[in-house]
Amino acid sequence: MSESAARALATMFERMSRAIETEKDHLSELDGAIGDGDHGITMSIGFKAVNAALAALDLDAASPSEVMSTAAAGFLDAVGASTGPLYATGLRRAAQVLAGREQLDLAACRDMLAAMSEGIRDRGKAQRGDKTMLDVWLPAAEAAATAVADGRSKRDFWAAVTAAADNGAAATATMVATKGRAARVRERSLGHLDPGAASAAMLVRAMAETL
Amino acid sequence: MVAARRGPAKPMALKTSSPRKGGTSRVNGPEGIDSIPLRYGDDPYVWACWLYYEDGMTQGEIAEAMGVSRATVNSYLADAREKGIVNISIEPARLASLTIAQELKRHFGLSDCLVVPNDDDTRPLIGRLGAAGAQALAKMIKSGDTLAVAWGRTILSVGEHLETGPLQDVTVVQATGGTTASFAYTPELTAAAVARAISARCVNITAPAIVASAEMHRMLLAEPLIREQFDTLARANRIVFGISSLRPNSTIHTSGFFESVPLQHYLAKGAAGVLAGRFIDERGRPVAGPLDDRTIGISLEMLRGIGTRVAVAGGFDKVPALLAALRGGYVNVLVTDAATGAGILRADGVTSLDGKLSQRQKSAPVSNSYRSHVKKFLNNPNDVVEEMLDGLIVAHRPYLQPIGGSRRALVARDGPRPGKVGLVIGGGTGHEPCFVGYVGKGLADAVALGNIFSSPPPDPIARCAVAASGGAGVLFVYGNYAGDVMNFEMAAEIAEEQGIPIRTVLTTDDIASSPIEDREGRRGVAGNFFVFKVAGAACDRGMTLAECEAVTRKANDRTFTVGVALESCSMPQTRRHNFEIGPDDMELGMGIHGEPGVSRERIRTADEIVDTIMDNIFKEMKAEPGDRVAVLVNSFGATPLMELYILFRRVEQRLSAKNIAIEASWVGHYCTSLDMVGASISILHLDRQLTELLHHPCRTAILTINGPETDVPAHG
Repeated sequence: MSESAARALATMFERMSRAIETEKDHLSELDGAIGDGDHGITMSIGFKAVNAALAALDLDAASPSEVMSTAAAGFLDAVGASTGPLYATGLRRAAQVLAGREQLDLAACRDMLAAMSEGIRDRGKAQRGDKTMLDVWLPAAEAAATAVADGRSKRDFWAAVTAAADNGAAATATMVATKGRAARVRERSLGHLDPGAASAAMLVRAMAETL
Repeated sequence: MVAARRGPAKPMALKTSSPRKGGTSRVNGPEGIDSIPLRYGDDPYVWACWLYYEDGMTQGEIAEAMGVSRATVNSYLADAREKGIVNISIEPARLASLTIAQELKRHFGLSDCLVVPNDDDTRPLIGRLGAAGAQALAKMIKSGDTLAVAWGRTILSVGEHLETGPLQDVTVVQATGGTTASFAYTPELTAAAVARAISARCVNITAPAIVASAEMHRMLLAEPLIREQFDTLARANRIVFGISSLRPNSTIHTSGFFESVPLQHYLAKGAAGVLAGRFIDERGRPVAGPLDDRTIGISLEMLRGIGTRVAVAGGFDKVPALLAALRGGYVNVLVTDAATGAGILRADGVTSLDGKLSQRQKSAPVSNSYRSHVKKFLNNPNDVVEEMLDGLIVAHRPYLQPIGGSRRALVARDGPRPGKVGLVIGGGTGHEPCFVGYVGKGLADAVALGNIFSSPPPDPIARCAVAASGGAGVLFVYGNYAGDVMNFEMAAEIAEEQGIPIRTVLTTDDIASSPIEDREGRRGVAGNFFVFKVAGAACDRGMTLAECEAVTRKANDRTFTVGVALESCSMPQTRRHNFEIGPDDMELGMGIHGEPGVSRERIRTADEIVDTIMDNIFKEMKAEPGDRVAVLVNSFGATPLMELYILFRRVEQRLSAKNIAIEASWVGHYCTSLDMVGASISILHLDRQLTELLHHPCRTAILTINGPETDVPAHG
């Protein structure tokens, strides 16, 4: 890693924001089918705010943990909605596991993914199969854990993580929503990708491209 | 087209219409008909058709009744079909299930598929599936067959409904080991029920379905008796089984068949379904886990080797599990219900289905290509909330002001005071005048505002709590949405850390959003208006935090709302409808966020729509003659007052027919959803206390009440 870990994380958030920006309309369309049609807009606002908050941070002095907690606060203050508390809690947990670490090795990435998914799970009180972003974060975190345990290379690690995330997102089409606004349309949510899961897979890919 | 035939009217509905087009009437025709009963007009075709289709007379009898020849009757009937006087239609629900069955068969390459309609049949789904499964099975079982039977509620129901002709030498074999009999559908009882129904020999597997160790598993399978039973199982040429999901409410969890800990293991490994005690993932691949070498029963491989594999399962929570089983090739005969079948196809990306289901309604496709965007007054679409707040804060300056420069947190100018419980409301924007219009003296003390249809973050809510606090605690009242709950809960934690006691009442007035058993899962919509009013009055009267909470909760419990949308709303950023409601459709049970409603129906007259809504409200509101209510007829944004008054007119008629008096009513824009076309009706069932609080004076931008006698809404 040529640049500092803090800088790498900031680059990751920039990538995330760019990816969301490109797919904003698509995400809102997905949301329109089963929710209120604003997911792309919400995510776009949130990641723009993250980048604005990080711009105010001295990346040469900041620790990876500070980058994550700054991102959490920036996201939450801008968004609210349900995405706000979920990602803010996930990012805050990630900040906690990164505390005292300066290196973003695979073990750190694994811990970060695990902390993200646990934070999101605890805040939203959802579980796997509920047709939410957790259907991406949980399998991604599990794939990361397995890859580290199997001593995989960095390349294989991220290949496994993104594959798990993409499969998780695709699988939400077969699920019936039980959480959030999509839960009100019950079986009419079938066949539609969950927008939160679709955007989560994009975030995981941005992580893989950067870290 | 199915041939017209009289008989049981259930599967087909015959519509007799009398178009009289092109002068089809032949009064005093060649055979001198001169005594056509009045009710048939002067149309011998209608008369003949009525006697034939409705009264069930033969052509000869009709000839006699009409005083014409039998050949004439015959030609009347034939012509009536041709002229469209008689339309033969298959009941849509049944046609739909035929279509779905055909599609399932084609898409998954099944050898057969039976889909039970989701019609008005009130029998429980398990019973209907059981009857259908029995019907399918009866056609397949032949003398000499060996039929493996897995356990489960649905399969037990198949056994209870099964009837076959005389069969010889049929063996029924239990597909798995047994379980303790704490429920009625154990493997033993399920197999026995099927065996009894077809007078077959029943072979049980006399070992537990799940044993304590892999060692025990090996030992039991080495027992000659059990080996013999497994030999029978291996000879099975047909199997009938259910499919279980791993959803929290699934019987898998309640049956005690599996211990909960390993179940979590399978869930974490991506298990989507269970068949005959074996776990598969969403692609139908076996999921490995700690129970694998402790399970006694048919393996997935053995199952797939059986010639006829009949799965009977339904309920849309089983869609992922069913899809997994179909993808894995474990099923070649499927028995399910129409909603589930359609769900499976949709989940697997079959899009042709919707076209096939609706192609009969030959409504011409609307060309909306001439305009793809909704017109709006905008500068920069990303700034709508900020610019709205710019205008709003100035326009309503007499009533409210920003809290410390934050425009997402506004406080009433003469609201909070020492010793008074503070009332904080809030939510997304796009609902104006909700929530900001209800801030002022005697109503809410502070409001937190989010982005369009999005909850505000914790920070402005916590600021509101601090600003509203008069030392007696703060009451949060907001709509029951996942996002709002998370943000307000986080804000409550922050406020309580600062020593401000917080109580929360979630509004849940939308009775269409969830059945009564799930009252707490309902969302809050326009009935907010009543709940806020009561809460604000309670706070203003100096009631304690606990009392304010209790009476607000009561107001929420006694407020009932149902909404209907005719067109969905469009976001400023997209300027497109969030989704399309067909040209002749309406969305019943519509919420206030542009999300789809609960059911889509053909649009009806205003009175009929109100009747449907009021029937639903009356079902829940236990009002006696002489009771009093408050009524709110609310526009979702684009529906004009003219139409709201038409709705109100019918609401009043329905209430007065039950001798329920209207204490107060409001008609207008009180809780909107941007530019959605539609309206909601809210009824607050009053008691003495609620009546007093409703009339308690208040002064806000949208609602001013001066006192008990002269309550005049300031806004219409």
